[in-house]
Amino acid sequence: MNEGLFQKIAGGFFVVIIPVVFLLLSGCGQKENHDGVIKLRVVTYQGGDIPLDIKEVMEAANAVSREKIGVTVDLEFQTTEKINLMMASGEYYDMVFTSSWVNNFDKNASAGLYYDITDLVKKETPKLYEYVDPYWTCAGVNGRIYGVPLLKDMGAEEMFRLNADYFEGKKGMLIPERMKLEDIEPFLEAYKRDHPDKFPLDMTKSGPAGYLNFLERIVNPIIVLPFGEGQEGDDVVPFYECEELVNRFRLFHKWYQAGYIHPDAATIDSTVADKSIPVRFGVAWKGYQGFSNPEEWGFNVKTSIYDGPYLSRSSEQGAMFGICAACDEEHAAACLKYIELISTDRKFRDILAYGIEGKHFEYLDNGTVLRSSTGRDRYNLMLYQTGPSASASVESVSRTFLSDPDQWKGVFEEYETEGIQSAINGFAYDRTGKEDIIAALLAIYSDYGAELRTGTSDPDVVLPEIKRRMEAAGMNELLQDIRSQLSEWNSRKEQTTEKGKSDGGN
Amino acid sequence: MAETDKKSFMTQGIKTQKFVGQEEKTENIRPLPGTEDKDEAVIGKKVSRFSLRGSGVRVTAHTDKVKPDTGVFGYTGKRNRIFMLMSLPAIIWYLGFFYLPMFGIFFAFKRFTPKPGEFLIKNLFVNSPWVGLENFNFLLRSSDIPGIIWNTLFYNFFFIILGIGIPVFLAIFLTEIHSVRFKGFIQTVMVLPYFLSWVIVGYLVYAFLATNEGQVNHLLRMFGMEGIQWYQSPGYWRFILIVTELWKSAGYAMIIYLCAVTAIDRSLYEGAVLDGATFLQRVRYITLPHLRPTICTIFILRIGTILNSDFGLFYQVPLDSGSLQSVTQTLDVYVYKALMQQANFSFSAAASFLQSIVGFVLLMVTNRIIKAIDSDSSLF
Repeated sequence: MNEGLFQKIAGGFFVVIIPVVFLLLSGCGQKENHDGVIKLRVVTYQGGDIPLDIKEVMEAANAVSREKIGVTVDLEFQTTEKINLMMASGEYYDMVFTSSWVNNFDKNASAGLYYDITDLVKKETPKLYEYVDPYWTCAGVNGRIYGVPLLKDMGAEEMFRLNADYFEGKKGMLIPERMKLEDIEPFLEAYKRDHPDKFPLDMTKSGPAGYLNFLERIVNPIIVLPFGEGQEGDDVVPFYECEELVNRFRLFHKWYQAGYIHPDAATIDSTVADKSIPVRFGVAWKGYQGFSNPEEWGFNVKTSIYDGPYLSRSSEQGAMFGICAACDEEHAAACLKYIELISTDRKFRDILAYGIEGKHFEYLDNGTVLRSSTGRDRYNLMLYQTGPSASASVESVSRTFLSDPDQWKGVFEEYETEGIQSAINGFAYDRTGKEDIIAALLAIYSDYGAELRTGTSDPDVVLPEIKRRMEAAGMNELLQDIRSQLSEWNSRKEQTTEKGKSDGGN
Repeated sequence: MAETDKKSFMTQGIKTQKFVGQEEKTENIRPLPGTEDKDEAVIGKKVSRFSLRGSGVRVTAHTDKVKPDTGVFGYTGKRNRIFMLMSLPAIIWYLGFFYLPMFGIFFAFKRFTPKPGEFLIKNLFVNSPWVGLENFNFLLRSSDIPGIIWNTLFYNFFFIILGIGIPVFLAIFLTEIHSVRFKGFIQTVMVLPYFLSWVIVGYLVYAFLATNEGQVNHLLRMFGMEGIQWYQSPGYWRFILIVTELWKSAGYAMIIYLCAVTAIDRSLYEGAVLDGATFLQRVRYITLPHLRPTICTIFILRIGTILNSDFGLFYQVPLDSGSLQSVTQTLDVYVYKALMQQANFSFSAAASFLQSIVGFVLLMVTNRIIKAIDSDSSLF
């Protein structure tokens, strides 16, 4: 081979490869702006699979939104890890799903990653401001608003879902509408007596759904402030010093020892396939029918609420959209207009929520929505992934099993009358400088978490051990920091209320 | 310098270089006991050989065909140009994905606070403040760090010793199997586990060890014993993890040694058999000495990753069971647990940096020790 050819090939490699590598490293996102239509990159949370028909549905939705507000959306689904990575690496997006449980809102908002929409939202989208009111508090950090809460079940109601055919039909037991957590024991006991080889209480490594919702979680789930029924909620404590929580762990452990819980629960990921389990946990809202479809379960399901409704900062932050701090005002306003459209235009909202009418779903006579089998297979999202659940039509599980179309009105009324409010909803902990402690504490928690919440380990044995390890890792330093930020926030709040009072007096 | 002088100087230079890796076979092979007078028969004619370091492959060539050469790449020049070209993709790969991203080391010493939409380089060097060694704090925060490092070293010690010993043992025995079909079958069966992902292996292990439905507990109950809650009993897991790792990796690691054993000149064995050497003697005096450079290379490389661990093995196989953490928590698992919810680049970079530094130092030291004992077997 001659030297010239060799050098050409070698040179060619470098000419091609080096720019490619640099492109990869620098990233090459571009904002598009054709014919006055603003195109937004919206990233939302991917819970299960990405729906197969998303492209078709988004085309239909974009046609509407282009005409109404001159905005189209490129909707991406990303997992928790991907969203975290995207936020941590400074990638450009216009709007992102953020919450207390995926893509931590308080952390990102304190770090200045979201656009301050306090003035913009009132100026550009007064209808949206009115729609979300009075739930803006949970999106506030130091008195400024950094996100749009998506109205859904803002307060958490925790319930048991029981096999009514078995307990009421066969055993003649009465399932009450409300019960205490420990009141489920006779049901578990009855089933266990009949089926000694089975485990009546559904449990996976993530623990009972919603058992922590009576707590305001400052650093989830290790530093908490109890505010639920009968709780004196005025001081933040480590989770192992919260008496009610410890009692719950003891209860779970008692059930575990009695054989109500699968012995390997702490390592089991999912129990969806096992339809025979007669008692499950659930978090939902008044009137929700999704747990009760007898066609899906093979038996009638009755729910019994054991907690709530509890309105905490965490629960109200269940689903939000944050706008990127790097957006120009035009894009930020476009984002807000888009959220306003999904919040106030029911027909448009239903496209994103359920797909294309006639293909993925149909409207029933009472105004509720029924998904078709195509819809269930090819466009089955949880409502909050694409916008406020409350602005979409209500879903019925079958033609005969109809939901109340005005369900949400009742839900929000109940929150106002019966809901128990956390007193520190407006407080966001700024964790800058303490992240190393939090990382160490979370690592310790993950050593025990699954076994505590599934009842596998005895809390009276492991909690002292956790306490010792967490204190060695800087728990007290972190607590002190949180308490000082909290008292500062409290005094600022008192000042503003006093000021408000005196203003009102004048 | 006269043209002729220069040429002859270069030629000499080349010869010297070419002969560095060359040796007469008599050096490396001791006469078998009782066969000293038959040396000539064993050795055959004089050849030179050089080895592609680390690959275990030896190339044998006649020295008299080497011609002088003065290309751009010095003495390797023209003759090796085609080899250089072949290695170009690898060189580009390493430059692009290993050397170019090395600026990422700075992550470990900065509090990474990116502004969305700006270039990574600017975010790192302009927008993020220096914090010195602060990012390493989270590693020191936990009082478990000594235990975690002990775990990492403990497992790696066994993985290195057994991970070399067992594959070498397997390779030697596999070469002794004469039926080609049977040999192929055994080889396939042994390599297969390597291609299973850890998630799958985790569930395979679970099928054996599940408390209620697991095979092992079924067996125990059959013999009237109590079932064991495996995922809550840390005592067994050091053993389980070591066995699982070896089951998965030994077959694959064996291939490297199998190549090295296959590459050994068969005439050496034939000669040894003629001389009455037993199987063990052949292994002792022919196979193992030939495998020594390969073993040393792999040993040094493994030492370099002594603080790293296979995340899948320690996280997926015990199904992240909290009760087992005292024996399953290695540095990588700890970093994952601590940072999973945080996505903090700076902390992760600090942890990796620490692993690399310790690995690098140990690698250099080991290489130096091996070089002192046997210069041919060292890595560089």
